[in-house]
Amino acid sequence: MARGLGQYIIIRALMIIPTILILYTLVFFFLRILPGNPVMAVVGTKNIPPEQLEHLMQMAGLDKPLYVQYFDYLKGVLHGDFGVTLAFPMGKPVWDYIAQRFPATLELALWAFTVSVLLGLLTGVIGATRKGTKTDTAMRVYSIIAYTLFIPWFGMMLQYLFGIHLHWLPTSGRLDPGVNLHTVTGLYVLDSIITGNWDALVSSVRHLILPALTLGIVLSGAYTRLVRNNMVDVLSQDFIRAYYARGVANRKVMWYALKNAFIPVVTLMGLQFAILLGGAVLTETTFSWPGMGTFLVDRIDYRDYNAIQGAVIFFAFFVGIISLIVDIVYALLDPRVKY
Amino acid sequence: MRRQYATLALVFLVVFSVVASGCISGGGGEEKPTTIVIGVTDKVTDLDPANAYDFYTWEVLNNVMEGLVKYKPGTLEIEPALAENWEVNEDSTVWTFYLRKDLKFADGTPLTAKDVVRSIERVMTIQGDPSWLVTDFVDKVEAKDDYTVVFYLKQPTAYFLALLTTPPYFPVHPDYAPDQIQSDQTAGGAGPYKITKWVRDEELVLEANPNYYGEKPKTEKIIIKFYRDASTMRLALQNGEIDIAWRTLRPSDIDSLKKDGNFNVIEVPGGFIRYICLNTKNDPTSNVKVRQALAAAVDRPEIAQKVFMGTVEPLYSLVPNGMWSHKDVFKTAYGDGNIEKAKALLSEAGYSESNPLEIQLWYTPTHYGDTEADLAQILKEQWEKTGMIKVTIKSAEWGTYTDYARNGQMQVYLLGWYPDYLDPDDYTTPFLKSTANSWAGTGYSNPTMDDLLSQAQRLSDQNERTKLYEQVQDILAQDVPYIPLIQGKLFVVTQKNVKGVTIGPDMIFRYSTLYKE
Repeated sequence: MARGLGQYIIIRALMIIPTILILYTLVFFFLRILPGNPVMAVVGTKNIPPEQLEHLMQMAGLDKPLYVQYFDYLKGVLHGDFGVTLAFPMGKPVWDYIAQRFPATLELALWAFTVSVLLGLLTGVIGATRKGTKTDTAMRVYSIIAYTLFIPWFGMMLQYLFGIHLHWLPTSGRLDPGVNLHTVTGLYVLDSIITGNWDALVSSVRHLILPALTLGIVLSGAYTRLVRNNMVDVLSQDFIRAYYARGVANRKVMWYALKNAFIPVVTLMGLQFAILLGGAVLTETTFSWPGMGTFLVDRIDYRDYNAIQGAVIFFAFFVGIISLIVDIVYALLDPRVKY
Repeated sequence: MRRQYATLALVFLVVFSVVASGCISGGGGEEKPTTIVIGVTDKVTDLDPANAYDFYTWEVLNNVMEGLVKYKPGTLEIEPALAENWEVNEDSTVWTFYLRKDLKFADGTPLTAKDVVRSIERVMTIQGDPSWLVTDFVDKVEAKDDYTVVFYLKQPTAYFLALLTTPPYFPVHPDYAPDQIQSDQTAGGAGPYKITKWVRDEELVLEANPNYYGEKPKTEKIIIKFYRDASTMRLALQNGEIDIAWRTLRPSDIDSLKKDGNFNVIEVPGGFIRYICLNTKNDPTSNVKVRQALAAAVDRPEIAQKVFMGTVEPLYSLVPNGMWSHKDVFKTAYGDGNIEKAKALLSEAGYSESNPLEIQLWYTPTHYGDTEADLAQILKEQWEKTGMIKVTIKSAEWGTYTDYARNGQMQVYLLGWYPDYLDPDDYTTPFLKSTANSWAGTGYSNPTMDDLLSQAQRLSDQNERTKLYEQVQDILAQDVPYIPLIQGKLFVVTQKNVKGVTIGPDMIFRYSTLYKE
C-alpha cells in the first residue's frame, strides 16, 4: 500500500509538468498571434520617434525570433525566473509581482473557501435531515440561487447594503488608508496577528468580509446540493439503521453519516479551489482587491507577455498542486481508491 | 436535533455580526484633519522621471519633484521654481538658469547645478519613453558653477520653458542610478512632498518635505488609494473611505454625485482632446471631399450631451479652447451636423443614395473609458443621417489598436491626446508634420504645413507664432486628416469639508494647497 501510494503521488506530480507546458505553449503563441505588443500598448498614441521605438523593442527582447523567445522564457521558468515585465514599468521581475499579488488572492480564496464550505455543509445537512419538508425545498432553492448569482452584481449589492447604506464595512481594498502593516507572509490577517498589530487585524478582517462573503456564498451552492444528496443517500443505508437499532445517539449517527457523505465533497473542494481562483478574478475586480486576478486583467490590457505567461504558469502550478493534494487526501480517506 | 442546527446557524450569525459590528467601532475610518485621502483609477506606472510617460504618474512626480521653472498655480504663466531667474541668448539656443542657494532634497542632501546636469544626462543616457522631450531639443547641458546651469539647444526653441516644466527635466536625488531605470525609486526630488510608503497598485503615502524651499503644504499627509474601476471608487467616496475622488469618474457618476448634494463637484477645463483620424493614403478617405463630408456631418454638441452628459465641450480645432492661437476653424468651415453640405460634398466625390460611401469606424473599448462604444454609435448615426454613408463599427483592444493605427491599417478611427507640454506646437506638430505623425497612421503630409510648423517652432515672438498657427489650423480644416470632436473637462469630487483644490491648465493636481475644514 505504501509503495502504491508513493508511486501514485509521483505519477500525479509528474503529470503537472505536461499540463503546464501545454498551457504555456498555448498562451505564448496565442499572445503573439494577435497584432500589437506590450511596447505598442505602453507607447500608445505618444509621439515617439521610430528609432526609439526600435530601441524599446530591443530592450524588451521582442526583436529576437519567436522560437528564441519561447525557449528563453522556458529556460528561465525552469530556473525559477519568470522574466521581467514588458509593459509599464518595463524590466521589473514578474516574480516580484506574483509574490506581492498572490498572497492577496490566496487570502481571499481561503476565506471564501471557508465561508462556502461552512455554509454549504450547514445548508446541506439541514436539507438532508428535513428531507421533503419546506425547509428542504428552501435549502435547494438557496443552492440554485447561490450557484447562479453573478459575482459582480451580487458583490455590488453587498457593497451598497453594508457599505453605502449601513456604513458597516469598507467596500474595497485590503486595509484602511494609512494603516501600516509589516508583511511577513502577505496574508494580512495572519501578518497582523504575527506582528501583534491589532489595528491592522481589524482593518484587514473588515476588508475581507464582503469579498469573501460574495465569493463564498456563490460557491456554497454546489456544496449544499452535494452534501444534501449524499447525506440523504447515506442516511437511507443499512448501517445507519443498524446504528439506530443499537440505540446510538442521534448526534453520533449524524456525525457518522456526515463523515461518509464527506468523501465526494473533498473532491468537489479540490475542483472548487480552482474555480475559486477563477471567481477571484471577478471578485477582485468588483472590490478593487489587489490580487492576481486584477493583475492578470491589467496585464492582458497591456499585452505584457512575460507577466501573463508568468501568472498563468504560476496559477497552473498552484492549481496542479492543490488537485494533487486533494487526490492524496481522497486516496487516504477512501480505502476503495486504487492507484 | 433541530435545536442543534438552529444553534449552529445562530453561532455563525453571531460570529459574523460580532466581527462586523466590532469592526464598526474599531475601524474608525475618521482621519485626522492632517491627512487627506485621494482615490484614483489611474496607475502610477513608473516613479522614475526618465521613463514615466503618462499623465497621472507625471502628477505624482510633480508633487514630489520640481523643475527649474513651473506653472503658476491655476495659470499658464511660467514662474521661477528651483531656478531664481534665467537668461536666453538672441536666437533662443542658449539658456542660462541661476539656481536658488538654499536648495535641498527631502532628506537634506544639498541640491546644486551638478544634480540638475546629472539628472538630465541620466535621461539622455537611459533613453526611456519620454526622453525625446530632452534629446530632440538639448544638445548638451553644463554646470558653470554650483548654481548656474546652461542648456545648449540643437535648434532655436521658443517654448523651451514649457518643456522644462515636464518631469524628464526634474532634478532627482543622487540615489537614482545614473544609467538604469528605477521604477520603484522613492527618493524623489525637491518637491513639496516626499514619498514615505509605496505599495504598487494599492497605496502611495506622501508627507510634507521638511526641506522644501517654498511654502509648506497645507496638509501634512496625502494618501493615494488606487482603484480598479470608477464604480468602486465612487462607492468608496460615498462610504467616506476617501476624501477626494479624482481621475476618473464616469459621466453618469459625476451627474449623480452632483445631484446627490453631499459632495463638492469641482469642474476645471482640461487640455485633453478627442478626435477622429482619417487615413489620407487609402480609399475612400484619401479623397479630401470624403473627409470634408464626414467633418460636416458631425454634430459635436449632440455628442457632448448624449454621450458625455455635458462633461466635455465641443472642439473645433486641434489646438484646445482657451489656448493662445486657437481658432474654431471647423465651426466656420462646416458647422455642426451640416447634412446638406455633407451631401453636396459626397455628390461631388461621386457618391449617392444608391451608391453610398462605405466606411469602417474603429474604436477601442476600454482605453478611453466605457463611453467609447456610445461615441462610435452616435457618429455612425450622424453620418448615416446623410443617407449616403454606410458605417460599419469595429473595435480592437488597445495593444492591437495602437498597432493598427501606427501601421495605417484603419480607415476612420478614434483617438485622444494628452499634451506633453502646453504650447500649440504640442497640439499641431505631432499630428500635422509629415516627419512626426507616423504614430497616428493618417499618412498626412503637406509641405506648406511642414514649413509653417518649422517656422513657428523657431520664432520667439508669440504674435508671429500666433499668425502661423492660425494658418496651420486653416489648412487643417481644409485638408481634414483629423476631425476634432471634444475637449475634456476635469472633475474633482470631494467631501464637503475638503478645500483648496487647485488644478491648472497643465491638468496637474497640486496636493500642497489642499486642506480640510
